[in-house]
Amino acid sequence: MSAPDPRDELVEHLPAMRAFAMSLAHNPATADDLVQDALVKAWSNFDKFEPGTNMRAWLFTILRNTFYSMHRKRRREVEDPDGIMAGQLSEKPAHDGRLAMSDFRAAFAQLTDQQREALTLVGASGFSYEEAAEMCGCAVGTIKSRTFRARRRLAELMDLAEDEQIEMTDAATVAAVSGKPAA
Amino acid sequence: MGKERRKSTLKEQIDENLRRAYSETAEEAVPERFLKLLEELRRREGNSAGGTGGEDGGES
Repeated sequence: MSAPDPRDELVEHLPAMRAFAMSLAHNPATADDLVQDALVKAWSNFDKFEPGTNMRAWLFTILRNTFYSMHRKRRREVEDPDGIMAGQLSEKPAHDGRLAMSDFRAAFAQLTDQQREALTLVGASGFSYEEAAEMCGCAVGTIKSRTFRARRRLAELMDLAEDEQIEMTDAATVAAVSGKPAA
Repeated sequence: MGKERRKSTLKEQIDENLRRAYSETAEEAVPERFLKLLEELRRREGNSAGGTGGEDGGES
């Protein structure tokens, strides 16, 4: 009753766990189920946590493992659960030329699980490539190539969403400058 | 040139959106269900191991 329980710290990581879960699972209900399962696992395996190491990394590792085992199960039950998200890609870009958040989410949902995971760990939650590699149980180079491919794929997908708007501008510009219609 | 510029803008936008999508959730208040779950886990533990916490238990 005297020493502070290190498990008290769990609650501080919940917002980040939810954000990570959302990036893996797409849909809020599944994401929160994922967090719940991971939390229970973390609690009951807390003796395996090494004090002094990064608790968030440890929790994220549990979360991703939970996701992959849950996901495998669901994949067998429902065919392509992500198809719903992919359907949203037809939305038009925002008028100011910036990408609408919904476009981004739809494009993001088209990445592979591993790409979303790597990109979220490195690009959004601030882990190093080394930390991400350890959490995902793979080589640093693998994380680097996953994030690289993820960014490139996103660029392609969002480029597509933007094309209409920008090509018209380009064609008009070219025509005005050269004095003849763009090829 | 225009194409390259457009590419880098796109990359910036990707990163910005990535962080925004993440922080949107990360900044939300933690749903009550998780706080209740933590309480419940602590209480159960208090019953079986009898260390910290756990005023009353009584689950079957």
